[in-house]
Amino acid sequence: MSDFDLELASLRKVFPGGTVAVDDFDLQVERGEFISFVGPSGCGKTTTLRMIAGLESISSGGLFIRGKDVTHVPTEQRPTATIFQNYAIFPHMSVRENIEFGLRVRNLPGPEVKRRVDAMIDKLELGDVADARESVLSGGQKQRLALGRGLVTEPEILLLDEPLGALDANLRKSIQEELKILQRELGITFVFVTHAQAEALSMGDRVVVMNAGQVEQISDPFELYTRPKSPFVARFIGRNKIIPGTLASADAKTAEIATDFGALRGVPSFDAASAAAGSKAMAVVPSEYVDVLPSGAPVDTADGALDVVTGAVQSYDRVGQVVYIAVELTNGTGVRLETYREKVEDRGIAPGSQVELRWKPERTTIVLDAA
Amino acid sequence: MHRLTSLRWILAFYTALFIIFLYGPFVVMAILSFQQGPEGGPQFPIIEWSTFWYKHVLGFAPPSRIAPLPIGEALTRSLTLAFATMVVSTLLGTLTAQAFRTRFKGSGVVFYLVVLGMMVPGVLLGLGMALVADQFGIQRTWWGTAFVLHVVYTYPFAFLVMLAIFNRFDRSIEEASWALGVPPGRTFRKVTFPMIFPGVLSAMLFALTLSYDEFPRTLFTGGNQVTMPIAIYGTFAVEIHPNLFAFGVLTTLFSFALLVVYGTLMSLSIRRARARVSGIQEDVT
Repeated sequence: MSDFDLELASLRKVFPGGTVAVDDFDLQVERGEFISFVGPSGCGKTTTLRMIAGLESISSGGLFIRGKDVTHVPTEQRPTATIFQNYAIFPHMSVRENIEFGLRVRNLPGPEVKRRVDAMIDKLELGDVADARESVLSGGQKQRLALGRGLVTEPEILLLDEPLGALDANLRKSIQEELKILQRELGITFVFVTHAQAEALSMGDRVVVMNAGQVEQISDPFELYTRPKSPFVARFIGRNKIIPGTLASADAKTAEIATDFGALRGVPSFDAASAAAGSKAMAVVPSEYVDVLPSGAPVDTADGALDVVTGAVQSYDRVGQVVYIAVELTNGTGVRLETYREKVEDRGIAPGSQVELRWKPERTTIVLDAA
Repeated sequence: MHRLTSLRWILAFYTALFIIFLYGPFVVMAILSFQQGPEGGPQFPIIEWSTFWYKHVLGFAPPSRIAPLPIGEALTRSLTLAFATMVVSTLLGTLTAQAFRTRFKGSGVVFYLVVLGMMVPGVLLGLGMALVADQFGIQRTWWGTAFVLHVVYTYPFAFLVMLAIFNRFDRSIEEASWALGVPPGRTFRKVTFPMIFPGVLSAMLFALTLSYDEFPRTLFTGGNQVTMPIAIYGTFAVEIHPNLFAFGVLTTLFSFALLVVYGTLMSLSIRRARARVSGIQEDVT
């Protein structure tokens, strides 16, 4: 019925007791896409993954894998493999037996099983520990074993539930890269659940941001970073500077809000026709686009007028090449900025000095604040 | 400092007392089992050290006025009954505990119904069963009515042991198996069961020992073919001779021998696992 590799249609999960864990989740995934689910704990991302895996029943809505309705198909009959956060390695089996286990039920000829297991052990460099049990494996080895055990069954979709959560930072980074390479090599769809936004953004072709059971935004990482669609995403993703105000005017391309600092402009994230002037809104500016200058510094208006807010520097800290500047704005709110040393060093910025924060209005996103 | 040493003495005294009460009866019984026979009785002083009563139990003693212990058939019955009870109770206990891993309607009530089996006084249960059997014309036998009560009694123990085991069981390991395409039945056999096996062994041990020396329920429902504890109790009615003590020592030694075998097997398998591990680590470095 559909050409998508994975399709979620109004997926909903209500736990016994009435808690709605996931509500109205729509998603279409192309073959070979790397999809990240990100959100704070309890947002429903893992529950959604478990519904796709068949480990959690679906309260309403539909789930399709390669156009086939699998909404009520039991776990073991779905063409998915799942990697668990704690790896869930069978402790009473060796590395080799762990990898073989999923193939044993598939009625493959013995030599074929052996060939596939050997190839997987080679590929994941587990040869040295092939006969060892879980207790002697390092974190990285367990991770690779969990991966190999799933991949050897040749799933259509690989589901990963915070698979890097238990690893230290360095290992995390290298396994992130390995996973990405592996995914491109295999060309199968990966669904990757994480609570770390940096991980979600760096790994995913598309990122699904979830909060309190709702999907907040589905976008590619750059758009998510630069054009948040909701206050939650503006706060959760990236390091955005957020200035609240009320909507003054909006058309399809620009919106203007009235704030403590006067009018601020930006690109609306909403349908201009449906938004009433006077409703609460916010200007969201990614930190990277904000420039810090001493008050009264000449303004270069070659590219059009800039938006400006003013304040006083509270602290100015140098850490290597990076400078951290804390500014108290004229309305009393504090802002922390991070910039490169050579960019601001000769501007004479010091604690106590008056500064202006400037940015191009087209970098700003105007987001309606429903709350 | 001073308070600590005095506290240590108090605890040492308490521990000593505990050990005396725990093993004292057995030591006294063991000593008296070497009483001279057949004239010597089950009391101090020891007239003369001898192994007469051991020969008497094993049937090597010359005929005397003291009848041999009626243990041959009773022992076989008790062991058969204990074994059957162990199998059925462990099976039921494991399956029930498995059911309790997911919350179901009325699980609280079912829990107390099961556990009631070990809470109800044995005498009452035995008497009740005997009355019911008579009412319905069911013959009371050790392999029928008594067996049912043995299961009722030991099944809650097996169930509680398995419940504790499943509480610590990491559910995601089973889920991982399903997710690999392995159906639930095979997952239970190949993944769950091997992992809960130590618990199953403990449940079996519980059921076996509880059934083996069960007294009040069997007394009322076992019929006239008696089990071991009833047979021994029966000898009290006449006169107690040290042959009973000799038998007690022999069964205790048998239990110890079983424990030694069990311990040796365990340490052997652990050592084998360690050897395997260190061999691997050498390969790696």
